[in-house]
Amino acid sequence: MRIAAVIAALAALAVLPQLISPYYVTLVLPAFAYGIALLGFNLLFGYTGLLSFGHALFVAVGAYSAAVLTAKLGVKSLEAIMLVSALAAVLVAIPVGLLSVRYVRIFFGILTLAFGMLFHSFLFKFYNLTGGDTGLRVLRPSLFGFAFPNLDKTSFLVGPFYYYCLGLLAVMGLVMWRVVGSPFGLQLTAIRENRRKAEYLGVRARLFCMIAFAISAFYCAIGGVILAVNTGQADPDLAYWTHSGELVFMTVLGGFAHFFGPLVGAFAYVFLKSQLMSVTEYWRFVMGAILVVIVVVLPRGLIGIAHDAWAKVKRS
Amino acid sequence: MQSSRRKVLKAVTGAGAMLAAQPYLSLPAFAQAGPLRIGIITPKSGIAGTIGECGLRGCQFAVERINAGGGIAGRKVELIVEEETNPKDSIERLRKLVLQDKVDCVQGVISSGVSLAMGPAAEEMKALTIFWDGTTQDGVNETMPHPHYVFRSTDNECEAVMASLLVVKHWKGQFKTVAGINPDYSYGRNNFAAFQALLKKFGVQHEVVADQWPKVGTTDLTSHVAALKAAKPDLVFSSLLFADLPIFMRTAHGAGLMDGRTKFAFPAAGFQHTALKKSFTPEGMIFGHNTLYFDLPNASPLQKQFVQEYEAKYKDYPHWEADRAYFAMQVYKAGVEAAYKAKNAWPSQDDIIGAMEGVKIESLGGPGQMRKDHIAEQTFYQGITTHKNRYDFPTLGQIDTMYSDQLQKPPGADFWKWIETAQIKL
Amino acid sequence: MSAFFDILLGGVFHAAVLFLVAAGLQLIFGVQKIVNLACGSFYALGAYFGVSAVAFAVSVGAPAYLFLPILLVAGLALGVIGPPIEALLRTVYRRDEAFQLLLTFALVLMFQDILRFFFGANPQQLGDMVMLYGTLSAGTVLVPTYNALVIVASIAIAFGLGAFLKRTRFGRILRATAENREMSQAVGVNVGRVYATVFTLGTVLGTVGGALVVPTAAASLDMPVELVVEAFAVVVIGGLGSMRGALIGALIVGMMRALAIRYYAELEMLAIYVVVIAVLIARPAGLFGRPVE
Repeated sequence: MRIAAVIAALAALAVLPQLISPYYVTLVLPAFAYGIALLGFNLLFGYTGLLSFGHALFVAVGAYSAAVLTAKLGVKSLEAIMLVSALAAVLVAIPVGLLSVRYVRIFFGILTLAFGMLFHSFLFKFYNLTGGDTGLRVLRPSLFGFAFPNLDKTSFLVGPFYYYCLGLLAVMGLVMWRVVGSPFGLQLTAIRENRRKAEYLGVRARLFCMIAFAISAFYCAIGGVILAVNTGQADPDLAYWTHSGELVFMTVLGGFAHFFGPLVGAFAYVFLKSQLMSVTEYWRFVMGAILVVIVVVLPRGLIGIAHDAWAKVKRS
Repeated sequence: MQSSRRKVLKAVTGAGAMLAAQPYLSLPAFAQAGPLRIGIITPKSGIAGTIGECGLRGCQFAVERINAGGGIAGRKVELIVEEETNPKDSIERLRKLVLQDKVDCVQGVISSGVSLAMGPAAEEMKALTIFWDGTTQDGVNETMPHPHYVFRSTDNECEAVMASLLVVKHWKGQFKTVAGINPDYSYGRNNFAAFQALLKKFGVQHEVVADQWPKVGTTDLTSHVAALKAAKPDLVFSSLLFADLPIFMRTAHGAGLMDGRTKFAFPAAGFQHTALKKSFTPEGMIFGHNTLYFDLPNASPLQKQFVQEYEAKYKDYPHWEADRAYFAMQVYKAGVEAAYKAKNAWPSQDDIIGAMEGVKIESLGGPGQMRKDHIAEQTFYQGITTHKNRYDFPTLGQIDTMYSDQLQKPPGADFWKWIETAQIKL
Repeated sequence: MSAFFDILLGGVFHAAVLFLVAAGLQLIFGVQKIVNLACGSFYALGAYFGVSAVAFAVSVGAPAYLFLPILLVAGLALGVIGPPIEALLRTVYRRDEAFQLLLTFALVLMFQDILRFFFGANPQQLGDMVMLYGTLSAGTVLVPTYNALVIVASIAIAFGLGAFLKRTRFGRILRATAENREMSQAVGVNVGRVYATVFTLGTVLGTVGGALVVPTAAASLDMPVELVVEAFAVVVIGGLGSMRGALIGALIVGMMRALAIRYYAELEMLAIYVVVIAVLIARPAGLFGRPVE
């Protein structure tokens, strides 16, 4: 049943570019990017119970790595860029994680926020290296060696790049599915439920949290690369703490207790925000109000609403 | 109203899905009868919110007058305003304006970071775009050496160059030690670097005794002022331009730094001019108003009317962002009308672009033109502050006027080399 | 020598401002274990409302030198937003802390537009009113009297809060509830009322802080998101929940920043993070915090 739904969703996404206008197709790309990023983020939040308010840091690492690789080092292969960016994020995740996973809950959130902002200040400050407030250019990469020189940027984005990202989302989703279903994933859940008890049972909480942290950084960086290619620029605002807040918002919007929640949340948030920005200049207020409603009334998110609706339908 | 328009557009784009592969020009004959739709991207919130607001007001003033006069080549102008936030989200707004709303022109953008990202994006989408601001010198050379669809404003360094020239002109030989307090981002860095390069060019011996880089938008400058006092500079050069500028003035005044022994040069102070009250902003400072000095004695009737209407409507006096927005709109209007006249039919986007290159217009602040390399040239106003006026903030007692060709590097040149080698008049 | 005092005073002043931003956050966390991301928003609200209140008062004829008490009253009056927000937060007390954090994040988003709606995009300032109280001078060391008042106020608030928490009955009830909510409830403490009071008190600390500082600064739209970082840094350095820690933490950050500005200006933006990381490595719970497990 679930597999059928996933395949149906993937198929729908595959035919989407034929059905909707190019603008909306370009919107799906950030949805892909955030979808991948949130798969990683939710491993840490939904499954391990650690709420980070600084994960935009790793999205920014991904974006800036893509910028440095394409514009400064001339590396055009998107596969190489993604691999290097994700590894760079893991490298950054190690010291940050080591300092942070010692703590739980709220303190973890505060610390990660501080680290995210430290990175933001670093990006802003060392302008010779990072371009400062203006950021760095991200050039168009080649996909599996193909550069598509005849396509202009938008056609590239809504064509080959779209399908590349869709495939990437599917693959990374599958990998994450395996991870959360593995003994490792179950142990993370045990840590979330009761850290001390899990430790008594032999789970090495800190190590596992570290690993989850690193994996989440990996995924976020890949999301960052996609965002950077879509925008064409990596800028420090990607690392700002409110961007981290958006990651959490998206996850909870979709439903953090469910594997597919963050993916649903990513799509819903990107489209919701875009529509709101067109309709009102006070879109931040509306987004905030929506978040209040989700947190207070609908904590299981959109997936939760769907489940409840489905249960009602089944009963009647 | 907007949603029904969007529904129509969706139907049209659905039917014309093949157009996705072509440049995103406005649809031909179909759209010509209706209004000209111009997308505006400007900040509404955050630190640049007030600047975007002033710019938008200048733009709206331009549009009101244009529409009252029958529109551009007979077609009324309609604005679709989107918010400029960060590069990622602003590019998405640009895409919406170009791909979804299919606007005829995009104008706006104030932040350098956003303009650097948006330039290539607009070029790739073949969307005629006129920036109000943004783009500091160094980044542009990498991203947009020869733009076709994008038109930029004057380069930011103009005000730094002019202020530096005025420092040399008025105060050469009167100072030995120099301090800088500039916001810690590309604009501040470029300003201070240009200042030092120009001092060097004119052989002004100086020693930098303090070099401050307050975080953008910081609200506590007591430590900075204390450090400046300790360094005892003869002259302070500052490109502070946000809310931190009045705070700096007030703090410096309170600490005794404004007692006359120190000279001050503020290339971009005009952004905050009404907040800089006489009680803490002394006379005798070099003060920049960029392309619009609201109290210009021999201002054009156009400027006088604008300032009057602005003051009546918003209870405030405008600064140059309004002029930049007005300039962009006028350049577009002039280009469209010239191309229309030449072709005797509605011009294509390339016709308009061709007509815009080299076009001369009258902006709020004075005459200006668009260079062939898509960089604007305008009139700049800076001067020495005076308290002899009817306001509670200083205005310019002695006004210096310079045109962009004296302040801006010529097409194709490198900025730093130009400073070194060019014949720059004082 | 006077330069030394100027720098010292600059650092202490910044510490006072930081403490005022962080105090509310620290109190609310100490008792309710809620991290209020909206602490910067409350501070900004106090600043904006303070400017409006003074401008209004002056326009109806109040003498300008009364601006300090007007600001205090304005800040205190904003305390009315405390109870409704706390009631909203109350709906998620029993749930995971993540939800509390998210709810306060929602408040940040909403406040950004609320502030813009009511006060506009232009930064709001009180002109040169700060000079009305004159300047204190000792040789060439000049300090606006108002700045000295802000320093005194924040010290008074710090010690006042400390005394309140340690010496008064309500303070003891607060600390007991912070330690063990169930136990306090069991001995008859009306935990709901305690929480509402504490939250309102924390809110007021923020709004009063913002109002008090605004004559020397400005109210601008980026304050709600910018100040959170500094508040968090101070709280991490001082230790979560410790008022004394917040004060000492603010002092360390203020002085480090002042010294960086004087001697190594490039480091200014990063000074605060350097201290945070140093403290985290040396004393993970913060200077005065208790290990949070």
